[in-house]
Amino acid sequence: MIEIKRLSLVNFRNYISLDISFNKKINIFLGNNAQGKTTLLESIYLLAISKSHKTFKDKDLIKFNESFCKVTTELTKDQNQLTLNVVISNEGKKVLVNQVEKRKTSEYIGVFNVVMFAPEDLEIVKGEPINRRKFIDIEIGQISSIYIFDLNQYNRILKQRNEYLKQISQTQKIDYAYLDTITEQLSFYGAKITSNRIKFINKLNKFARNLQKYISSHQEDLYINYLSNYQLKDNINQQQIFQLYKKNYQRDIIKGVTKLGIHKDDIRFIVNDIDVSNFGSQGQQRTTALAIKLALIDFVKEETNHYPIVLLDDVLSELDDNRQTQLLDCIKDKCQTFVTSTNISGIKKELIDKSDIFVIENARITKEKGEKYGKQ
Amino acid sequence: MQYPDSISKLIESFSKLPGIGPKSAERLAFYVANKMKEEDVLNFAKSLVAVKRELMKCPICGNLTDKNPCVICRDTNRDKSIIAVVEENKDVIAIEKMKEYRGLYHVLNGVISPINGVGPQDINIPSLLERLKNDEIKEVILATNTTIEGESTAMYIAKLLEKIDISVTRIARGLPVGGGLEYADEVTLLKALEGRREIK
Repeated sequence: MIEIKRLSLVNFRNYISLDISFNKKINIFLGNNAQGKTTLLESIYLLAISKSHKTFKDKDLIKFNESFCKVTTELTKDQNQLTLNVVISNEGKKVLVNQVEKRKTSEYIGVFNVVMFAPEDLEIVKGEPINRRKFIDIEIGQISSIYIFDLNQYNRILKQRNEYLKQISQTQKIDYAYLDTITEQLSFYGAKITSNRIKFINKLNKFARNLQKYISSHQEDLYINYLSNYQLKDNINQQQIFQLYKKNYQRDIIKGVTKLGIHKDDIRFIVNDIDVSNFGSQGQQRTTALAIKLALIDFVKEETNHYPIVLLDDVLSELDDNRQTQLLDCIKDKCQTFVTSTNISGIKKELIDKSDIFVIENARITKEKGEKYGKQ
Repeated sequence: MQYPDSISKLIESFSKLPGIGPKSAERLAFYVANKMKEEDVLNFAKSLVAVKRELMKCPICGNLTDKNPCVICRDTNRDKSIIAVVEENKDVIAIEKMKEYRGLYHVLNGVISPINGVGPQDINIPSLLERLKNDEIKEVILATNTTIEGESTAMYIAKLLEKIDISVTRIARGLPVGGGLEYADEVTLLKALEGRREIK
């Protein structure tokens, strides 16, 4: 069991200084828009992943006109007490576990995991392929630092290859030994990443399918299909992928860009034999988005032996009663949960009774009953 | 207010150095102007000119030297059948410090990286191929860094040598000596596992 006991922020976004303790499994942050509710979830996300879910520029997290920001948490993991720090300054980002600096993110990631539910989740189902690839990469990355390494290597060599292809079209000179070399490297990492993504989707499928059935009262059957751009049936290996690239050398050289690869992969969500992203109803799309996120909770548990911390950013009021109930069933007594909401009236009483409510106004916090936000 | 001309020129010179941004360059320039003794400044200026005028790249191995050929290439006690291919001069120093390697070197002076405008012909690969025409050489050790560009460069050279009867090896990657497994990060551990060798 992982539980955050304390969270403190210094110069983080609009917070000058904040220190809160948590005693309950469910914690609700209540307040109007732009008061700093999501920032609290963002800080927890940052502690888990060492990146923000909102921005890829770390410096955006520093309060305006300040030179650094610091996020600290004390948490218990089974019987152990852990202190995590993330400090961002002009010199970059430092992460510390129990005051010891971890120079590589791979030594840091995975101390605890988070699953975040946000209104943008619907984009995983409805949006562009890049949203789905980002989803996959973040979730596998949370449990495998080797995957992050492979992905970085792939992206770097892809950049080199595209630049080289551009130079070929400019100079009309081709060094096939070099093109072969970088293509082999691309194939090596492409093969590894493809296998890991397929493995991940297969695991997610197993959980998501049951959840979709459950949420839809056995009306909907979900199947997630991984569309690898390599289109290899089975036996995904470096040699086969290398041959595919070789066949396309002329096309790549003419276009000056690498057309084939994991950067073109996608996933399809099939509900009752139809592609829900393009042809599903609004309701089916919402259920699918919820099911795959809930499936992540089981996935993290299976992979790491610990349930993740769940972050619900402004989603409860968007879910109908039935979907809220399913969500609650999945996190009940298993995951410590942090919820943001502008109004408590849309949240089920069962959940409110079990929670601590923190009211947030202008980056300040009071622990109170929250009457003016609808609590009776 | 604008800086006096000599100061802005010095700032500009310092900022051409790697790892020195405009702020650091400014700090260094004012340190030179205000704090350094004239004698030290003169010595500094002399050494700057000297490294450029008196040093050259060894025509055989590409290492920085004040003798032609360099001390390593002219040393008759060294094993002339092995060449270690490295990226930079400082890699030669690192290997030399070990005092165990008795072969020769070949300094590429960079790695292939199209993003940085460095192609296969822009580093010392042609001179390496020329050197390998000598029958004396039996082994080439590819000791480029383990970055993705270091790997590409090593793999590329290996490809060029495919048809030549010379043994081509790549330095091993893995655990630091004396370090426990528990302290290694996953990627290093994976490479160590992949690079394992039979002992029985």
